[in-house]
Amino acid sequence: MNKQIPYYVMLFKSVNYALKAEKILKAEGIPHKLIPVPKQISSDCGVCLRFEEQYRIHIETNLCNKVEFELIQQYS
Amino acid sequence: MSEIKIVNATGLACPQPVVLAKQAIETSEQVKVIVDNETALENVNRLGTKLGCEVKSESKEGGLFEIMLTRKSGVPLPSENVNTSCDSSAAVSEPFVIVCSEDKMGRGNDELGSLLIRAFFHTIAEQAERPDIIIFYNTGVRLTVQGSEVLEDLKALSNKGVEILVCGTCLNYFNIKEQLDVGIVSNMYDIAGTMSRAGRLVNP
Repeated sequence: MNKQIPYYVMLFKSVNYALKAEKILKAEGIPHKLIPVPKQISSDCGVCLRFEEQYRIHIETNLCNKVEFELIQQYS
Repeated sequence: MSEIKIVNATGLACPQPVVLAKQAIETSEQVKVIVDNETALENVNRLGTKLGCEVKSESKEGGLFEIMLTRKSGVPLPSENVNTSCDSSAAVSEPFVIVCSEDKMGRGNDELGSLLIRAFFHTIAEQAERPDIIIFYNTGVRLTVQGSEVLEDLKALSNKGVEILVCGTCLNYFNIKEQLDVGIVSNMYDIAGTMSRAGRLVNP
């Protein structure tokens, strides 16, 4: 992934939510990657979903009312 | 700019080609090293890279290889001692090896295990300290075939020079040899040999 392009990480209250969200994105065929939560956000051993800005609306629409999440924009 | 110094290291056993190449590049800007085996080729290439030289190698007739080492202008050779013995380089003698014997990380819960292995390879691919070799066997080989969730990370590692060995017997057993998408099909000789000479062996 290009380092200069901003991307989003989507955080969840539990790993199960992350997996549930991922299943939905997979079914929809939306590009994303499951990664450990970046250290600068949290030192918990958690996982989150990373995706490019262009998919943000599509992803939010699909997960709305299904999974609770928090979005954080990242550079680097 | 001095002339090209030629080092004929054919017929010499390791570590002689590396020792001679190192001596030569210390006194010349440009050195051409001729060797007659791939081990020497790799070792001299590695030496050149370590010394911060521009390295160009080509194979010649009769199983010979020519390696051209050129010191980058204005760049001094590293002052610390670059070891020239055969097992000088960590990559050769004491590689950092990751052994992936399953397509999951840890045991107990498969869903969690496959999530963890993805997070693991993502992190390995991002971090500065990369393994020299990653070995996949048993269900671990499923991580190296088309559709694998960690393929992107493994390809990135492979592009950065990490050697990826995939157990051929295992690919065969699962009937997924045709779908292999990263790394090379390996055998127990290489796998057991690599594990035996590993400096560090990490099993996620």
